Amino acid sequence: MSSGTSSSSSRVGHTAGAAESGRVPFSFARLRLIAGNTFLEAVRQKLFNFLLLLAVALVASAQFFREFNFGSSELKFIADFGFGALVFFGSTLTIATTAQLFFSEIENRTALTLLAKPIWRSEFIFGKWLGVFAVVGVFCAVTIGLLLGLLFYRENALMNLHPEAFEAGRIVNYADILLVGVLQWLKFGVLTAIVLLIASFSNTNLYTVVTGFFVLVICHLQYLARDAYGNIDNLLVRLPVMLISYVFPNFQLFNLADHAAQGAGVEYDVAARVGLYGLAYIAVMGGLAVYSFRNREI
Amino acid sequence: MSLPPDPSPTASAAAAIEIRGLTKDFPVNLRGIKLRAVDNLNLTVPAGQVFGLLGPNGSGKSTTIKVILGLLEATVGECRVFGVPSGKVESRRNVGYLPEAPYFYRYLSGFELVSFYGRVCGVPKARLCDRVREVIDWVGLSGAADRRVGTYSKGMLQRVGLAQALVHDPRLVVLDEPTAGVDPVGSAEMCELIVKLKEQGKTVLITSHLLAQIEDVCDRVAILDRGKLILEGEVGELIGQRERQALIVDPLPEADLAALKVWLAERGHALAAVEQPRARLDQLFLSKVARPGKTEERHQS
Amino acid sequence: MKFDLAAFRPLRTGLVVVAALTVAGLALRPVESPAWESLRADQPALKLDSIQGALGQGVTVGLLGGFRAIVADFFWLKTNSVWGDNDLPATQTYVHLVTAIDPRPLYFWLNGSRMIAYDMPNWRIQAAGGYDAVPQSVQRKFDEEQSAVAVDYLKSGLGYHPDEPLLYIEIANVYLNRLKDNATAAEYYLKAAQQPDAPHYAARIYAELLRRLGRNREAYDWLKKTYAELPKGGDASFTALPDVVLERIRELEQELGIPESEAYQP
Repeated sequence: MSSGTSSSSSRVGHTAGAAESGRVPFSFARLRLIAGNTFLEAVRQKLFNFLLLLAVALVASAQFFREFNFGSSELKFIADFGFGALVFFGSTLTIATTAQLFFSEIENRTALTLLAKPIWRSEFIFGKWLGVFAVVGVFCAVTIGLLLGLLFYRENALMNLHPEAFEAGRIVNYADILLVGVLQWLKFGVLTAIVLLIASFSNTNLYTVVTGFFVLVICHLQYLARDAYGNIDNLLVRLPVMLISYVFPNFQLFNLADHAAQGAGVEYDVAARVGLYGLAYIAVMGGLAVYSFRNREI
Repeated sequence: MSLPPDPSPTASAAAAIEIRGLTKDFPVNLRGIKLRAVDNLNLTVPAGQVFGLLGPNGSGKSTTIKVILGLLEATVGECRVFGVPSGKVESRRNVGYLPEAPYFYRYLSGFELVSFYGRVCGVPKARLCDRVREVIDWVGLSGAADRRVGTYSKGMLQRVGLAQALVHDPRLVVLDEPTAGVDPVGSAEMCELIVKLKEQGKTVLITSHLLAQIEDVCDRVAILDRGKLILEGEVGELIGQRERQALIVDPLPEADLAALKVWLAERGHALAAVEQPRARLDQLFLSKVARPGKTEERHQS
Repeated sequence: MKFDLAAFRPLRTGLVVVAALTVAGLALRPVESPAWESLRADQPALKLDSIQGALGQGVTVGLLGGFRAIVADFFWLKTNSVWGDNDLPATQTYVHLVTAIDPRPLYFWLNGSRMIAYDMPNWRIQAAGGYDAVPQSVQRKFDEEQSAVAVDYLKSGLGYHPDEPLLYIEIANVYLNRLKDNATAAEYYLKAAQQPDAPHYAARIYAELLRRLGRNREAYDWLKKTYAELPKGGDASFTALPDVVLERIRELEQELGIPESEAYQP
């Protein structure tokens, strides 16, 4: 045999330090490894590059608003379109990437090799979550960074053109825009955990993506159920509507973009509560994804 | 250079795998219709042996392996790996697994891939690099270690798969159809590696439906059919015909043959058959195709 | 009928998931509610019945889903497009649609009303044959009709921004510039000047309109009161212009024949 033969007389059997007895504890190192691998795989996907380019193009095309001579309101239009690109493409990227990365492991049977190692399924699920969260984080950072740059550039130009509109100082609150970007990222984190929960029992990528979008819409409209159930007299209708309002998280809560775009100012107490709410839902959805995935037969 | 087998007392004393009353059903619908993949299987794989799990497609081999690896949960019965229930993460610490027709992260190099699995298995960072080189060298992929896995041939994928299965130095190596889809040269090389694993004291569990290859490397085999164990034992015991012997000689003239028959009859023996011995086709193929020292280059091409 | 319990495992998992999410929803409500109340307080209610006909279901879901600002922006761009074509019915419809979708940006109210009050009378005159062909009385009628629409529109804006001086000023300007109605214009400039954060020029213009109406005494008293409250130094004085106000006071004192001994002493 080959170089295999030439070296095959050497042993592979001396200890590598991994075969001690006793419990295998939950390991953040393994979680990070899986996350790193997920991240690498995701950024190599065409979808990520495509959506990133699209978002960048959309934000950059906000230059087009100069044509309309909106005056200082041009900044509101730029911010609205920037946040729109972030929310729309970010949600698409989150759902498609999470489902794709999960099912590529299942369908290519790399999950089989990985889960046959001494790792916990919770490490696998949260590793996937962290990997996708990092990918979406890159997307948010690029989009928000570009938006901030564009707003700064246009605000400086408009300050020269319409100084009367800036008598009270700058209109754009850059810290608020950054904060809104971080909260949107957190929302995508919750969405990633939701898609992982769906994927944990789903059989196909397509079903996961479609259900993911469906749940995204419900989460955005959850407040309607919440407003409605108090006014419904029929118990049979009221209970399911009430259940919807408790089962699904309220994604509108993360929508502080309008405040920032209109310079209304984001209250930090509200932002802190939204942050806590997002983190709690990531833990709950992720935990349930682990619970469901533990029962899944690979 | 050849080293003696691993004298680990636990490896030789305890069974590597113990399966008791294992039944695995897959529900088909809510009305109770189910598919029984494995039916009341009892099996012991002794430590330090090469054990073949044979059977036609759909006989329950892969399901059994998945239960051993903790990827499936038994409906009834239990499975222990070195005494640890297979559902526990701890049971996989001593197991290396090469899946059938393995597919790996295509964008990693062979070295990166094996490193990744090594780190997943907890190989200490200080030793990881040496260990990965060692195991890649052992499977004969040193020359291709820095190439992306996506460019590997099927045989090379099997080798890198074996390397990742061995990187954490497991006591039990599970190989699911390790030679399926690989050409006879690659199969022969894989068989050689299996024999070497056995020499090092590893327990090897192989599933295959290529019976000739199994016969050459296995100490024991079990045959499954429709989820049931229909035969189990030492290979020699199962297929050897102890009441008969074969003598292979140069071609004898008719007169000498007649004299031999007389000679045998005088001693109470009978000549059962005279026929031309035939080489096995795979042996013929290997004798013509295999070029020692060139195998890796052949794979790469 | 025989049931297989193992087959019900996915159902059990589903029930556990729903139960856990309900508990989480209940537990997190106290964290979420104050933030949600605060956000909702700043979000005017969507009057879907007024806009649903104009929008497809997808856009309506988008609006409900929290994309009001960007949907309104899109329709504002559309408004600009039909405005460029001098399309009166379409412009009027889109102007109203935009603020029905998102009444928060003042920009929409101000610019929408300008399109209605200042551009549309011109379009109607052009459509009727041009300034030379259309009699003055008809031109005046167009001005009055469009101004009425614009003022109604701005008044509905006041429903969302009751303290907004710029809306009062915009109404005042419609009366002043299109209808030459100084009295009503003065009334609205007064309201503008009485709002918190009103621009200083509102008070000055109110006084100027009083003078034009021959109500010099009122103008004089108003300006004295205004002057007392104006910032006299720093950056704020650049827009407050206390010197200009004092100059007007002196002019009015001359016009009213107020003796020097009784002149205003700042």
